[in-house]
Amino acid sequence: MDQISESKIIGVATRRVDGPLKVSGAAMYASDHHFPGLLFAWPVCATIAKGSISSLDTAEAEKMTGVVAVYHRTNIGPLYRVPPASGFSLILDEKRPPLEDDEIRYYGQYVAVVVANTVEQARAAAESVKVTYNREKPDADSKLRGSPLTTEKPEEKSKRGDTAAALRSAKVKVDSIYTIPAETHNPIELHASVAVYDGQKFTLYETSQAVVNHRDVLAQMLGVPPEQVQVITRFLGSGFGGKLWPWPQSALAAACARNLRRPVKLVVSRQMMFQSVGHRPAIEQRIQLAADLDGRLTAIEQEYVNHTSMLDDYDEGCGEITPFIYSTPNLLVTGGLARRNVGNPTAMRGPGAVPGLFALESAMDELAVSLKMDPVQLRLKNEPEIDESLKIPFSSRHMKECLTTGAERFGWANRTAEVGSMKRDGLTLGWGVAACAWLAARTETEASVELKQDGTARVACGTQDIGGGTYTVLAQIVSHETGIPVGKIDVVLGDSALPSGPISGGSWVTASVTPAVLEAARNAGQRLLLTAVKSENSPFKGRKPGELEFVGGMVRLKGQAQSAVPMAEVLRIAKINSVAGTGKSAGTLGAAKPEFSFHSYGAQFAEVTWQPEIARLRVNRVVTVIDAGRIMNPRPARNQIEGAVVMGIGMALFEETMYDRRSGAPVNNNLADYVMAVNADTPQIDVAFLDYPDYKLNALGVRGVGEIGLAGIAAAITSAVYHATGIRVRDLPVRIEDLLAMPRSDSAD
Amino acid sequence: MAFDEKENKPKTSLGRLSRRSFLSQAGAMTAAAAVAPLASSPSPAQTAKADATPAFPGTVSVTLRVNGESHAIQIDPRATLLDTLRETIHLTGTKKGCDHGQCGACTVHVNGRRINSCLALAAMQQNAEITTIEGLGGPGKLHPMQDAFVEHDGFQCGYCTSGQIMSAVAMVKEPWGKTDGDVREAMSGNICRCGAYPNIVAAVQAVRRMS
Repeated sequence: MDQISESKIIGVATRRVDGPLKVSGAAMYASDHHFPGLLFAWPVCATIAKGSISSLDTAEAEKMTGVVAVYHRTNIGPLYRVPPASGFSLILDEKRPPLEDDEIRYYGQYVAVVVANTVEQARAAAESVKVTYNREKPDADSKLRGSPLTTEKPEEKSKRGDTAAALRSAKVKVDSIYTIPAETHNPIELHASVAVYDGQKFTLYETSQAVVNHRDVLAQMLGVPPEQVQVITRFLGSGFGGKLWPWPQSALAAACARNLRRPVKLVVSRQMMFQSVGHRPAIEQRIQLAADLDGRLTAIEQEYVNHTSMLDDYDEGCGEITPFIYSTPNLLVTGGLARRNVGNPTAMRGPGAVPGLFALESAMDELAVSLKMDPVQLRLKNEPEIDESLKIPFSSRHMKECLTTGAERFGWANRTAEVGSMKRDGLTLGWGVAACAWLAARTETEASVELKQDGTARVACGTQDIGGGTYTVLAQIVSHETGIPVGKIDVVLGDSALPSGPISGGSWVTASVTPAVLEAARNAGQRLLLTAVKSENSPFKGRKPGELEFVGGMVRLKGQAQSAVPMAEVLRIAKINSVAGTGKSAGTLGAAKPEFSFHSYGAQFAEVTWQPEIARLRVNRVVTVIDAGRIMNPRPARNQIEGAVVMGIGMALFEETMYDRRSGAPVNNNLADYVMAVNADTPQIDVAFLDYPDYKLNALGVRGVGEIGLAGIAAAITSAVYHATGIRVRDLPVRIEDLLAMPRSDSAD
Repeated sequence: MAFDEKENKPKTSLGRLSRRSFLSQAGAMTAAAAVAPLASSPSPAQTAKADATPAFPGTVSVTLRVNGESHAIQIDPRATLLDTLRETIHLTGTKKGCDHGQCGACTVHVNGRRINSCLALAAMQQNAEITTIEGLGGPGKLHPMQDAFVEHDGFQCGYCTSGQIMSAVAMVKEPWGKTDGDVREAMSGNICRCGAYPNIVAAVQAVRRMS
C-alpha cells in the first residue's frame, strides 16, 4: 500500500471549515428545514410497557382546532418490514414498522400520530387521543444473569485453551460481577424528520449517521424504489450511535407526508428520546482472571448478558476487546441476551468495548491489588506479541508506550499503593489506570472530486459530519492531493444522492474516506492533464498526459516549475467548467482472512479527590494517551478525546436510565434527572497522541478517534475511587451511598 | 419585515397552500437541496414570505422585536418563544434540546439577559428586545465570541453552540470571578453532550481577556 508520510496539511491543526456556519446558527440541522404548507406531527405514546390496545378513540382529537389527521394502525397505510441486513445495507434495530399491530411491547411505543397546523395543536390533540389497554405486568427487571435468556445458553464468542482448568489451578484469582445500567445517548439534538412527498419522490430531512442506509430502509418500508427516496442530513446534532439506524418516527413522518401530500415535521420530545430511539442496554458481566504470582495471566473468562427488546436481538458484544488485549493461553468469552419490555437497544459510543473494558479493566485492577503489584506494571507484563485470538500480527500497536507515556505525564511514579494514603490540601486522592482499545477498519466508500474553472474544488461523499470534523478532513485530503487551499474546497456531505459513503459509526469514517477521496482527486487530476494536452490553445497541446503533472494547484511539465499553468487557466483555455474524478475503495471489515489485527489503543489515568466529611467525590485530573494512527487534524481529534473523557465521567459517576419495575417506564426521562456531566464537572484533561501512522490501513496511516477515548475511562475512575476509599464499586454509576459504607478490606471484598 | 411586502400579509407558519403552488415550490426546494453545497442551504425566510396567509382559528396576533426588527405574527397562544422563533419567524439558529429548561440549547437574550426560550411564552414577550444567535453575527461577520468559538474549537456537532454562545455573551457581562472555575460554573446551564467544555472555557476566557 502507498505510504504518504510528508504533507503540508495532513496532521496539521486546521480550523473547521464548517465552523462559521455552526457558530452563527446558519448550519441547517434536520428540524431546521421549513417548507410551504408544512404540518406538524406529534406521536401518541403507549403508557403501558406490555399488553395490547383495547380501544383507541380519536373523535375528540379530530375535532380540535388545527388538526388535519389522526393516524393509527387502521389508516396509516402500508409500511412494510425490511429484508434482513447484509453488510451495511438495510440495517435497522426496531424491525417492526410503527403501528403494525395492537400489541404493546415497551413503554412509549407509538400507537397513533396526530398531524396539525401547529406543533402546539398537534401536541394537545395527541394528549386528547383516548387509548385503553389490556394491561399486563411488564418485565423491566435490571437483574440479568440467572434470568431466563433469549439465547438458550450463553453463546461462545471467543475461546482458546482451557479456562476451567487454568482457573482451578490458579495461584491468584479474581472473580467479580460488574453491572452497567441502561444508558441513553441523549445527543442534544432531538431526533427529527421533515418529510416532503411530491407524489412520486420522498425527500426526507433526517437526523441520520448513515444517510445511504436510511434511504434504503425507508424505501423498503414505504414500498418504493430507492431512487424515489432521498435522505439529507447536512448537519447532525451528534448521535453517539443513537442515530445510526432509522427509528420509527422517520417512517411515521414519511407516511403522514405521503397520505396528506404535504410536508410534515416530526420532532421527537426529550421524553420520547428515552423510549423509542435506542439506548445502551443494561449489562451484567462476570470476569474471572487467573494469574501466576509474578502477574502473568493464565486465563481470562468473561461472561456477559445484556438486555434486549421483545422483538429484536441486540447483542452488545462486550467481548470485543478481551480476546486480543492481553496475552493469555486460556480464554473464554460468552454472551447472552435477556428479553425485557424495553425499547430496542442500539450501539452507543464504543459499543461492546466500552462496557466490556469497564469490567475487564476493573478486574485487572483487582488482580493488581491481590498481587500487590503496580497496575501499570501488570498490564505491561501481559502485553501480547501478536493478536492471540486471530493468530495474526497487529498492524500497529503501541500499548506499552501509551502506558509508559501516560504514567510519566501523570506522575504515576509518585503513587503510593495503600488505600487512602495520598493526601493533598486536606483531600484524599485516588489514582487509577486502565488500558483501552477499539477496532479500526475501513468500510466500502465512493467519492467524487471536481476541479473547477473558478479555482475551487468540490468533493462529495454520501457520509456525514456528526461533529468529528469530517467536512474539514475531506477538505484536507483533497488539499493534500491537489495543492488547492482548504478554504477553496467545497465539501458536500449528508445526502444519499451523493456517491455512497461510510456510516458515521465505529470511528471508521476518516480511515474509510481517505483512499476513495485520494483516488477521486488523482482521477480528477488525470482528467485535467488530459484536458491540458487536448484543448486548442493550451500550452501543453500535443504533449502526452504522462509528460505532465498536477502539483500545487498547477499543471506543469514534470519537474519544470517554470512551465506551470494554474488549474483554473487550463480549464478556462479549454472552455470547460470542471473536470471530475471518482474514487472507490474496498472495506477491511468482514475480510475472510485478515492479514492484520487493526485496532487503536490507549491508556487512561484518572485522579479523584474524596472528602469523606461532606461525601464529595470529584474527578480532578485525567491523562489520556491515544495510539490511533496518524492524527489527521489534531484540533477536532483532541476535542473528541476530551469530550469522551467528559462522557466517561458521566458513565462512571452519573448516568443511569431507571425503569419503573411496575410500569416499565423510563422514569428519569429528562435532562435534569438523567444526569450528564456539565462544564463544572470537567477535570483537567491532558490528551497525548502517539501519532504512529498505520500505513497498513490506508496511505495516510489514519485510523479514527471517535470512540477510543471513552473506552477504559470508567474503570480508571472506579479504580481511583478504590484507591481513595477502599471501596470497589462494581455497579455503575458510583453513588455517594456506595462510598458512605464502611470501607472493606481486600480479603473481605 | 413585519409584513410580507408583496402580499401585505403578516408572516405565519400556519399557511395553507394550494396543492399546485406547494408542489412547484417543494420541487424547487428539493432540487436545490440536492445540489446545495455546504453554505447555501435553502433560506427559510424566503419560503416564509411565499407562505404568508391571514390568521387561522385559534391563533393570536403578536408583535415581537427580534434582532432589532419587528415581526407581526399570528401564533398559537400556547407557543413558546423557542417554537415561535423557529417555526413562525424561521430563525432556526436557536435550538430545541429538551423543552424543559434543562439543557440551555435554546438560550436567547431578552432585554440583554440570557433566558431559556423554551420556558417563555412568546405572547408574553411583546415589549421585549429579543436577541438570537442570528442577531449576534452571520457566518461572514462573526461576533468576537462566535469567532473565539471557532478559533478554540468550542464545539463538535454545533447543536448546543448557539445556546453556549448566547450564554457566554451574557455571562461576560455578569458579575463572575476571573477563573476558569467561574466560567465552568457560569456555563453549566448549557449542556454539551460532545463534551467540548475545555474549549468552551478557553473561548470564553479569550474573549474576557480581550474586553
